[in-house]
Amino acid sequence: MSAKVRVTINGRTVEVPAGTLVTDAARAAEVHIPVFCSHAKLPPLGACRICLVEIGLPRKDRDGKPVLGADGGPEIAWNPKPQTGCTTPVSEGMVVATDSPVAVKARKGTMEFLLVNHPLDCPVCDEGGECQLQDLAFAFGADFSRMSDAKRTFVSENLGPVVKKEANRCIVCMRCVRYCDEIMGEDALTPHRRGVRTEISSFDRQPLDCEQCGNCVEVCPVGALTALPYRFKARPWDLRQHITICPWCSNGCSVRLGVRGTEILRARGTERRGVNQEYLCVRGRFGYGFVNDAARLTGALVRPPGAAGAGNALEPASFEEAVAHAAARLREIAARDGADAIAFLGGEKLGLEEQYLFQKLARAVLGTNHVDSRTRLVAPLPGTAFLKATGGGRPSISLDELGRTKEVLVLGDDLQGESPFLQAVLLRGQHQQGVHLTVAHPRRVKLARARFGGVWLGLAPGSELALLNGLTRAALDLGDPLPAPSGGPPPAEVAAGLPALRTALAAWTPERAAQATGVPAAAIVAAARRLREAPSRAIVFGRAYAEHAQAAALLQAVENLGWATGALTAGRSCVLYAGPHSGTQGALDMGLAPDVLPGYVPLADAAARAPFEKQWNAKLGAAPGLTAPEILAAAAAGRVKALWIVGDEWVRSAPDRALVEQALARAELVIVSDLFLTETARRAHVVFPAVSFAEKEGVLVDCERRLQRTARALAPRRGAKSDGEIFQAVARALGAAWSYRTNEDVFREIARLVPGYEGLSWATLLPLGPQWASEPARVAASLRPAADERPAAGEGLWLLSGGVLFQQGSLGHRIELLTRLAGAACARFHPDEWKRLGLTAGDAVLLEGPGGSLTLPVAVDESVPPGAVFVPYAHRDVELNRLGSPGGAGLRVKASKAGIAQRTGV
Amino acid sequence: MTGPLLFKDIDTPGLAGLDTYRRVGGYATVLAVLGRQTPDQCIEIVKASGLRGRGGAGFPTGLKWSFVPKGTERPKYLVCNADESEPGTFKDRELIEKNPHSLIEGMILAGWAIQSNAGYVYLRGEFGWLQKILDQAIAEAYAAGLLGRDVAGTGFRFDLHTHLGAGAYICGEETALLSSLEGYRGQPRLKPPFPAVEGLYRCPTIVNNVETLVNIPHILGQGAAWYRQWGTEKSAGTKVFSVSGPVKRPGNYELPLGVPLRVLLEEHCGGMRDGLKLKAVIPGGSSVPPLPASLLDTPLDFESMNAVGTFLGSGGVIVIDEQTCMVDSLWNLMRFYAHESCGKCTPCREGTYWMTGILERLERGQGRASDIDLLADLADNILGRSFCPLGDAAAMPVQGFLKHFRAEFEHHVGQRCLANRRRDSRMGVPA
Repeated sequence: MSAKVRVTINGRTVEVPAGTLVTDAARAAEVHIPVFCSHAKLPPLGACRICLVEIGLPRKDRDGKPVLGADGGPEIAWNPKPQTGCTTPVSEGMVVATDSPVAVKARKGTMEFLLVNHPLDCPVCDEGGECQLQDLAFAFGADFSRMSDAKRTFVSENLGPVVKKEANRCIVCMRCVRYCDEIMGEDALTPHRRGVRTEISSFDRQPLDCEQCGNCVEVCPVGALTALPYRFKARPWDLRQHITICPWCSNGCSVRLGVRGTEILRARGTERRGVNQEYLCVRGRFGYGFVNDAARLTGALVRPPGAAGAGNALEPASFEEAVAHAAARLREIAARDGADAIAFLGGEKLGLEEQYLFQKLARAVLGTNHVDSRTRLVAPLPGTAFLKATGGGRPSISLDELGRTKEVLVLGDDLQGESPFLQAVLLRGQHQQGVHLTVAHPRRVKLARARFGGVWLGLAPGSELALLNGLTRAALDLGDPLPAPSGGPPPAEVAAGLPALRTALAAWTPERAAQATGVPAAAIVAAARRLREAPSRAIVFGRAYAEHAQAAALLQAVENLGWATGALTAGRSCVLYAGPHSGTQGALDMGLAPDVLPGYVPLADAAARAPFEKQWNAKLGAAPGLTAPEILAAAAAGRVKALWIVGDEWVRSAPDRALVEQALARAELVIVSDLFLTETARRAHVVFPAVSFAEKEGVLVDCERRLQRTARALAPRRGAKSDGEIFQAVARALGAAWSYRTNEDVFREIARLVPGYEGLSWATLLPLGPQWASEPARVAASLRPAADERPAAGEGLWLLSGGVLFQQGSLGHRIELLTRLAGAACARFHPDEWKRLGLTAGDAVLLEGPGGSLTLPVAVDESVPPGAVFVPYAHRDVELNRLGSPGGAGLRVKASKAGIAQRTGV
Repeated sequence: MTGPLLFKDIDTPGLAGLDTYRRVGGYATVLAVLGRQTPDQCIEIVKASGLRGRGGAGFPTGLKWSFVPKGTERPKYLVCNADESEPGTFKDRELIEKNPHSLIEGMILAGWAIQSNAGYVYLRGEFGWLQKILDQAIAEAYAAGLLGRDVAGTGFRFDLHTHLGAGAYICGEETALLSSLEGYRGQPRLKPPFPAVEGLYRCPTIVNNVETLVNIPHILGQGAAWYRQWGTEKSAGTKVFSVSGPVKRPGNYELPLGVPLRVLLEEHCGGMRDGLKLKAVIPGGSSVPPLPASLLDTPLDFESMNAVGTFLGSGGVIVIDEQTCMVDSLWNLMRFYAHESCGKCTPCREGTYWMTGILERLERGQGRASDIDLLADLADNILGRSFCPLGDAAAMPVQGFLKHFRAEFEHHVGQRCLANRRRDSRMGVPA
């Protein structure tokens, strides 16, 4: 809480917190002070001088009392020189003039200087029409130029596939350089030379070797940096701009789509809106091409009865025919084999309303509880597991607050690949807010680099649980779980579980944890101490733990650590699950899990079930259904006969390729709804053409549990239907009396029915919706020993996998830029391992796992620990599930040299 | 050449060596002060002496030192600004070249006064040979126990390092110097925080000019009252003036502040050479406005110079004779500032470039009558609007040249420079 001060700007007096910059105070006073170099996320620079204003302070006498002027008001001592508003903090009684002759001349003078060397190529400049220099020249500039001498010129450069540089237009505001350094942590740009010859480029003038996020383009106030993919594509006034939510991960960034006709021509940040404001990662900014991909499905496909195979191909059908066919087959199977022979999979990429309808279709219309969105799980997990590990739905903090949290522990995920915005939040926090990072990852990922001042806990692959146990034990050695900020004790369940946990962890001395993980004991103790003693702390985990063979134990261990360190209790702290998809949290919230109804209502609880049964007019089964890995096994064994897979390339995402092929071959009915004829869809009996994120409106819940509306930026592709329409059509064909006209109708039902979502209104979810929270918690806490399952013993190298920035999921394969940036997938080895295997550049390696083998080109990578091999999972050429379980640790593979590179699966 | 204080022994053979320096009384003050006078007492003496910074801005040295926070846990640094780049200024060069130990002694004492344990000498990129001289003197001082963990047996630790710049005028600006010293691009930083609070590596830092620091042993050794026997009430002590141009004896002269400019030029430098007539004098390095011959009796001190619209600056006295074209001179200066502008802020970066173009046009006889007012207006738009004083340094000469020599500029409109035509014809260049 900072004190308020009064400041008068052009005669308007406003009260703002002390320390507010004059430019921000002016905004409060509704006075426009132009800026170029100033940026909300960067510290003041004061370089461009366009914000020069006259500033005066009350004159004080020797006793510090204000001197009164002739009119009785305080006498103002004006600063003899105009001052930059973007660097000057306000103080009590300050008077600012932006319209005095001195201020006007200073601003006009600066404007004139800015145009001295700026070319007049606005007609062919991509920034034209939305250029700040253009706008401010219009507002403040002269109507003629006194500059008649030659302008200095530079040669334009392509800085890689994303950034086009026209240095002649540069006004040297240094936003790009500073943003790249302070927020992206990339430091890829630098000014060369000096004075009027100052030119921004890469250090070596080679193509930028960076995240290719294009945020330098976004923050450029002129057209000096423009995006090559958008170059000469459109004039901004020809574009309809729609703000929606990015589909690429769970961070929930707002993205502004520029649409002309039925084509998306660009994606941009949103300046001052959304969780991310101007920020977008490379996927969000350049990953929209799949929407307009010519290969998209434009009609339903149906396979005539009989087995898939020659002469029995998928054939085009009308939507109505496909719906009728699907409904008839579902009804037939349900009647013959019971509803338990039907399973619903996927849905992590759907909107909230569609997720709700998907499980409602399964449970209320068909009567099966075999519903699971988590198709990559290796081990069965309860539907409540993630919510419980993150505090059970208690109020949490926002990403913005996370960036001000003093100590952050990142567990298992390479955020650069999995949650790029989250990484940017933490990097900015590290640079500007004193956030200290601790990264527990077998590889030295970007966040763990020495230049970010954090601590890297480079644990041995497979020792994740040991590290968590060691940390928890060390934290509990410092005292009991912390009380809540309100002063109340932690939940009773935590206190109740404490003795047993202490007993179980007694053996997990720092020394033993060190022995098991390879992380020094002192580092474990110090990390626990930092977490517990920092004024605020956060623990972040993601799919690496979710898809781990020991996921259940790991999630319990994360919860234990959360209570032990206070991350789950103390103010301004949190445990955050950054799931893999835009709808991961929504799918969990909407009960796309076999054991819970929407709002984490346990199926087994008859009283809690009753409102759903009443609303849905159906009798719901009390017994939990099968989880995704169990459905996989059951389908392969022929016990599950019908599968509906929505928006999920199950052939690639299921943990075992051989098993999933078998399951799809054996199933009598496979219904797939997707944008493309995926490998999974090719094996289906009914394929519904779905619409993309840009063609529908709805709600997405991001990793902070924030609800945000998405917008329809273009009309649906001809022939394609939204998933909600598909579900409703099939439900009606099955006899259900569904009559939702829009997703808003569905949301209204959710807000009426689903605990935690009560009373939310669709209208209030723009632009930043609330983070849903529930007090008391939706899911009770527990503190109990995390089962110490020893990781699978075995021989060979640990298979490490993870997301990489440029490839994430099968849609990425359709974005030419992303596949080009990602390059070929390589099996990466530590130099020691490289030498041991006798590899040379250009070789290929044969990886053999329990489920099969894979041949990949090789690369040396010092960030991979010895005794392991790193393979990114999302490249088109990598089908890790051919080896057995993908992603998470627990899999060991044999590696051997396999001659020259050949990028094919075996 | 001699002077009363800094230049008293400057021509003593072997002064750069420790033994000779000690023979003329060197390091006596270190032995007398360290451990015997408190840091606060030292700061008070320097305050009382009235010593003002000799780099150009003339800020009271003792006052600057007193801004260093007391009782802070962070290390404090002392930085000597030896980035002597102001055109017409070459005093620090001679001081270091001939008497490096006096700088080392001054830095030890200043380090003691602000309780800093590490000092840096930032030398301009072209001063490679001075770095060798200084490094050798520093090595001698270490060997003699005058630098290091235990200076002269007093328990005070003081380490001294030299650093060679990369050739940028802007690094004479103290915050740009600190950026450069840290390994970053040499560009000025936002003030506040001032370096005394947050400077090198974000720690309290005092940046002093070479000549300032060389004064310290004398002041702390002999006392403030003794020091005040030279100079005026507000401009105490002596100043080294670097005289260049067509005088009979150009060079460095150490004179008490307040001596009239005429005395410096006519008595010490022997007047103009070759019968040339003096037209103008730039009294304080190229960044200050020139004085016409009519103001030659102005005393050389901070206040008197301000009173006639110029500055004492760094003491680089540039003499301009009647045959020299003022437009050509200003163009020359402006090329320098355009070349040295760091590019950080708009007015300096663009304004110096633009003014260079206008001056070139004028000098070549392609100027317009409106160009002169345009120049004046551009200088006005730079002055006080740039990020650091470099912009002011480029704007002030423009204003001064136009104030005193406007007729010469008007004469250039539409015709090639007469002075240069004369020079060209001397050199056989066809008109």
